[in-house]
Amino acid sequence: MKEQVYVNKTSEVYDAIVIGSGISGGWAAKELCERGQKTLMIERGGVVEHRKDYTGENTPMWKQEHRGRVENILVDQQHHIQKQCYAFGNTTKQFFGNDRDLPYTTKPGTEFSWIRGNMLGGKSLLWHRQTYRLGEYDFNANKLDGYGNDWPIRSKDIEKWYSHVEIHAGISGSKENLPNLPDSEFLPPFEMMAPEKAIQAKFAELYPERPLIMGRTAHLTQPTQLHVDQGRVKCQARNECHAGCSFGGYFSTQSSTLPAAAKTGNLHIAPNSVVHSLIYDEVTNRVKGVRVIDNDDLSEREYFAKVVFVCASTIGSTQILMNSISKKFPNGIANSSGVLGHYLMDHNYNSVASGDVEGFEDEYYSGRRPSGLIIPNFYYKPNPKRGFLRGYALSASAYREGWDSQQHQDGLGVDYKNKIKQAGKWRFGLSAQGEMLPRFENQMRLHPTLKDKWDIPQIEFDVRFSENEKLMMEDAAEQSINMLKAAGLKNVSGHAKHGPPGLAIHELGTARMGRDPKTSILNGFNQSHDIPNLFVTDGASFCSSAVQNPSLTFMALTARAVDFAVKELAAKRI
Amino acid sequence: MKNNQTSAHSLNNESGSSMEKQEKSRRNFLKGISTLLGGAAIGSMLTSNAISVAMAYVPSSDSILSDGKVFKKAQLMLLKQICAIVIPKTETLGAAEVDTHGFIDNQLFHCHTQQEQEKTLEILNLIDYVAEEALSVVFIKLSADQQFQLLTELDLGEKRFDQTQRQSFKVLKQFICFGYYTSEVGATQELRYDAVPGGFKGSIPYKSSDPTWATRGLFN
Repeated sequence: MKEQVYVNKTSEVYDAIVIGSGISGGWAAKELCERGQKTLMIERGGVVEHRKDYTGENTPMWKQEHRGRVENILVDQQHHIQKQCYAFGNTTKQFFGNDRDLPYTTKPGTEFSWIRGNMLGGKSLLWHRQTYRLGEYDFNANKLDGYGNDWPIRSKDIEKWYSHVEIHAGISGSKENLPNLPDSEFLPPFEMMAPEKAIQAKFAELYPERPLIMGRTAHLTQPTQLHVDQGRVKCQARNECHAGCSFGGYFSTQSSTLPAAAKTGNLHIAPNSVVHSLIYDEVTNRVKGVRVIDNDDLSEREYFAKVVFVCASTIGSTQILMNSISKKFPNGIANSSGVLGHYLMDHNYNSVASGDVEGFEDEYYSGRRPSGLIIPNFYYKPNPKRGFLRGYALSASAYREGWDSQQHQDGLGVDYKNKIKQAGKWRFGLSAQGEMLPRFENQMRLHPTLKDKWDIPQIEFDVRFSENEKLMMEDAAEQSINMLKAAGLKNVSGHAKHGPPGLAIHELGTARMGRDPKTSILNGFNQSHDIPNLFVTDGASFCSSAVQNPSLTFMALTARAVDFAVKELAAKRI
Repeated sequence: MKNNQTSAHSLNNESGSSMEKQEKSRRNFLKGISTLLGGAAIGSMLTSNAISVAMAYVPSSDSILSDGKVFKKAQLMLLKQICAIVIPKTETLGAAEVDTHGFIDNQLFHCHTQQEQEKTLEILNLIDYVAEEALSVVFIKLSADQQFQLLTELDLGEKRFDQTQRQSFKVLKQFICFGYYTSEVGATQELRYDAVPGGFKGSIPYKSSDPTWATRGLFN
């Protein structure tokens, strides 16, 4: 990217400010720039240039410091929370936040793991890339059982925006025509392995309402000209995605939205700019800009714009709103309803089951598939007999045992070495991703006294899984075990766990959308009910978690909100 | 697009220049992509000097000649011998030849707890202690058959050894396997390693003489 894209101090009044450069921020910037808006993207962390700064990429194990593991001292001092993320390792650690500088607290008796990606691109570099639309059953869920508020939108409102973002991002998957999981605009799906196909056929026979399908993922299995023009090529199936991908094999801000935004000439980026709060003009009832603390030298500066998009991640966005205090909004800007910070959700990944698949000794696979399979939520229709509300999807995958499993057997010497060299049994597993109910009591708030090094109040979390989520995971474990046994797997075992929320890294809610300004922060276009030129388009805006990985919906909501905002600007209503 | 595969025999000649080498291999990798993309579009990134390269453990043939970070010289010699017995040289080099013992010393120091370090020391001491008790010499002075026999008993928790000791030895075997199968020889010669597979195939034929993928459990 050209040097002049990056700004530090500037008195320019932009058409739009976008706070954050992750999946939502990248999309906001692209859509604004392409509509001719002079846009300033503000990022709290440093610059990560596509390719050049993927310093851990394509490093074989023997060339990695500590063969992929991270030095004790570094983990203890800087990453004692981040290390809990499955993607944390030696080639990726530079993309995770420094826990020493990013303190937060949890209410006694509760736990929450807050995983951070504070650099240009944000968690779009680190995400798991699973991409699923929400469907009509998802948008209706709150209304039907009364937990949370009704989503102000339905499938028909967002369908074309899903298509819009999918075509640009590149989503691989198979058309299935399922009532509970709408299809996307697909590139070809990844292939299944032979035992996966066999189990798929077994499930189709035994559980016709629980189809096992290929996971849908933001990888270029067959790039279109549009992707080639973005500078991207086919996914090479390395599955080292979290270190960054110079091929642009998966969607990230760097690979996809940033090049599109930069091409317009309308984009400026202010890196190392930690947003302290929004600047509010009480006379006009508009947000004028943002107050920023320099990430490095802690100096202060301000940026100004006609419209502000807050895309700083669910918790980051709400933290900024909460810390923007004025006479009119003593409890956080845009919070006349009082629900800001409430209804925090994550997904619940607390059930696993697996077993041995007999046979297929002459089958193997090549490449490292960056996606598993999925059985979409089969409890999408409410049923009081079930004992809990909502449902879960089951993600699935087969693998054939390698040295990592074979090493555990008895033996020494030539025989032992030769056995390890050979492929072992096939294994297949199911793990649940469950919906978490939106509950008022699950919340984040500003700590009354503790602050971080930028003088911003720390977050205190008060969030836990309820009995509903626990019962759901017990059911998931039981169903998974039964299904694997029924499909003929051997040595099946599984269990529900009781891990705290946070580690699904699907934080949602806290500045929810809704029709009623008295009970929600944002309207159906992610626009603040209270302040017309303020938008929040990331996960904070969610009314329910559904079971789907949420990032695709961040993209679609953001693109839709920008379209709306630009029309409102043109009509001079903002 | 497998231009990032380095030569297989870089064991003892990767000295202080490994950073330069790694940067060079990364540049080659990026150049490969640039060819794939059709050139000029990304040429500029190659001029950057922002590439920071972490220092990987460099295997050495003389790591038993002095004390390590966790182990004394004598313990390193013992560990080297255990490495040679657990994963011996066959048509490919074994764990001792690729300095798995030196790697374990370094890895235990940097990435494991003090408790894990002590447990490993304990099991090494146990092996020498039992050798001396039963056969009146330290382990490395035993005959090859005696060494193999004693470690087999430990591996199965039989005769002079109990199940707790057996479990501790399993952990040591895991360290040895990790060190060996993530080494260049272990990953690329004993097993199969493909830096850039180019795509995923869900079904390829397999026969029992085919080695497995070295990356299983690491990247997938």
